[in-house]
Amino acid sequence: MSWRRLRTLMRREAQATLRDPFTMAILIAVPLAALMVFGFVLSTEVKHLALGVHDASGTSASRRLVGELAAQGAFEPRPYATRAELDHALVSGSISVAIVIPPDFDRRMEAPTRNGRPAVQVIYDGGEAVLAGNAEGYLRSLVAATAADLDRGDGASPRQRRSAGGVEVVTRSVFNPRLDGKPFMVAGTFGFVLSFLTVLITAVSIVNEKLCGTFEQLQVTPATSLEILLGKILPLGAVFAFDVVLMALAAGFVLGVWPVGSMPFFVTVSAFYVLVSLALGLIISATSSTAAEAVQKTVLLSIPLVQLSGFAFPIRNMPRPVQWASEFFPATHYIRISRAIYLRGEGPVALLPELALLLLFGVLLMAFALRRIEQRG
Amino acid sequence: MMKHNFWNNVAAVAYKEASVLRHDRAMIAAVVVQPVVMLLLFGLALSNKPANVPWAVLDRSQTTVSRRLVQDIQATGYFLPSRPVTSYDAGDALLKRGDALALLVIPESFRRDVEGRHPQVQLLVDGSDPLSASRVSSYIGQIAASFEVTKAPPAGGARPTSPARPAGLIDVRQRFWFNPTLSDRVFFLAALGGMLLTNLCLSAMSLGLVADREAGTYEQMLALPTTALELVVGKLVPYVGVAYLVLLFATVATGVGFGIWPHGSWFTLLVVTLPFVLASLAVGVFVSTLAHTSAQAVFISVFFIMPSFVLSGVMFPYQFMPDGVRHIGAMFPLRWYQIALRRILERGAGFLDVMVPFLILVAMVAIVMTGIRRRMKPRLG
Repeated sequence: MSWRRLRTLMRREAQATLRDPFTMAILIAVPLAALMVFGFVLSTEVKHLALGVHDASGTSASRRLVGELAAQGAFEPRPYATRAELDHALVSGSISVAIVIPPDFDRRMEAPTRNGRPAVQVIYDGGEAVLAGNAEGYLRSLVAATAADLDRGDGASPRQRRSAGGVEVVTRSVFNPRLDGKPFMVAGTFGFVLSFLTVLITAVSIVNEKLCGTFEQLQVTPATSLEILLGKILPLGAVFAFDVVLMALAAGFVLGVWPVGSMPFFVTVSAFYVLVSLALGLIISATSSTAAEAVQKTVLLSIPLVQLSGFAFPIRNMPRPVQWASEFFPATHYIRISRAIYLRGEGPVALLPELALLLLFGVLLMAFALRRIEQRG
Repeated sequence: MMKHNFWNNVAAVAYKEASVLRHDRAMIAAVVVQPVVMLLLFGLALSNKPANVPWAVLDRSQTTVSRRLVQDIQATGYFLPSRPVTSYDAGDALLKRGDALALLVIPESFRRDVEGRHPQVQLLVDGSDPLSASRVSSYIGQIAASFEVTKAPPAGGARPTSPARPAGLIDVRQRFWFNPTLSDRVFFLAALGGMLLTNLCLSAMSLGLVADREAGTYEQMLALPTTALELVVGKLVPYVGVAYLVLLFATVATGVGFGIWPHGSWFTLLVVTLPFVLASLAVGVFVSTLAHTSAQAVFISVFFIMPSFVLSGVMFPYQFMPDGVRHIGAMFPLRWYQIALRRILERGAGFLDVMVPFLILVAMVAIVMTGIRRRMKPRLG
């Protein structure tokens, strides 16, 4: 391996990449856009949710309950005079939650008998499963709080009554007290962008070279396969390392998300992951003969990449065999690492097993990419 | 005469385009493999519903009541067997390492509290994944709230009929319509058709057109005695056909595989699909006018597809997104199509219920078509 030849190859690659305005635009715009888009999508905060109300009771207690539900802007009550109208609104999708307060609500509230707990019926649009799941907990806690308030108002000893209502849970969230979705998604977006964009950029660049015939030219030069490989991925790696820094700064200044752990450590790990991912891109493009084929493969690969790597859906929720399969994506391990650094501030020691796995992936993929290049020469 | 010619020419172009598609291996792979992969992923693999949640319990009370509470939580099936810890610090360390998502702290006085004043437990959750954290804490909260503290009646056999017992608290009887078990599968699969069609229409159309230009067949076709309109319509027809096939496959496969059949009318489904397919194809055509090479076409369409998946509400509920982001999402055809799909498939809505999304989609087709005319004119002239 000659350092001089490698340097020439690297300069060539860097110039080819930097000269193409379209690629440069992609390299800067996509990471930033992904950050902004993904940063905002994961939110569990229930607000301005259309709530259909059929208040058959129409008393101060029932109005108080509806008022409490509307108070913090979580629900926007819309009254419906009949049950049928309410049902129709649910079917047509103009409301996603409905609450029905029965005529005897007030009476039961004041004089609870043995089986006469005041009851309300709540109907969710289960089709919007995620929405309903979050609204459920929120609505329940609002109703419970209102009930306790109403209860206290009517004279009986709240202590004694409360004791029947089960166990109170005092919840505290440790790493993310406001349950803000941004840090979680930002840390994952690094994994998504670095995995997807690297593979796509390499695939396109190699296929373009093949089309122009410059790839064959490279192979007949005295450069060895290793030099070609490194000459390709090191300059691209540097470009993506720059992307990592750019994204980290944008996340910090625009979204206010800074890593809890060490920034230099994060950038180092990310730069290494970029090399692993570039090697994967090299393999994909070396096994495809046309640009369309390379791109199709990349896109097909990106579906499980987004879905199974834990970026959007927690891996532990998946069935066992799928959980095992997801361990074979380098992206899974990188996302785990980036979240550990970003959210929990972990250092190299705690992450040693994951880092070792990433290294193993790197070595295997590089070796495989090298073989592919040699075979063609 | 003119009319006859028009449809003749359209048919000829459509035939040519269909023959090209039939031999396009990558395209066929995309049409066949993608629906299967997505169906399996969304039907079997992915879910937001917590499962296998690792949790730890610091039981300072060590009584039957406290153990029963832990068992009750365990019985929901969302959790892995709990890990007992002996100190607060040990539990905290588990949370820090990510080995536990929640730590339940039962105080020493728990048993006494249960008998007398209102009992309290503390729950520490790892909030880094807000969705899981809020679900897990809401599950535990519900179990605890309905925990019958006096299951084993005290020796005195005190007061089973006492009216003081079920006091005040409002009984919330809830039901989940259209999806009683609140499974994510229904949520994802209802929108599967929308995802597949977005992918197909956008990437196939833009790639096809750019490839035509690269190969020079586009110029040849311009030299034919066909008008620009005939050319565009002729090109669209086979894609619309493939799109309907994919939609049919997705709907039947979800029905057969997972028992999720449309509750609404098939007719409405087919009608609403048309403006969506046309809008997506039109966006594909527009992308092809922006791109110079097929690589660029792919880049641009992928970066249209990604945000439209993320922001339209097929994967994440758009109702929760901040206002600005929600409005951006409303500019993607998929947002309106998925609203219509959910209404038809899950709620059994009729055509009137999906009128609004339908009209918006039609308007989108018109807008993008105008944009295309602007961009394409110089080249066609």
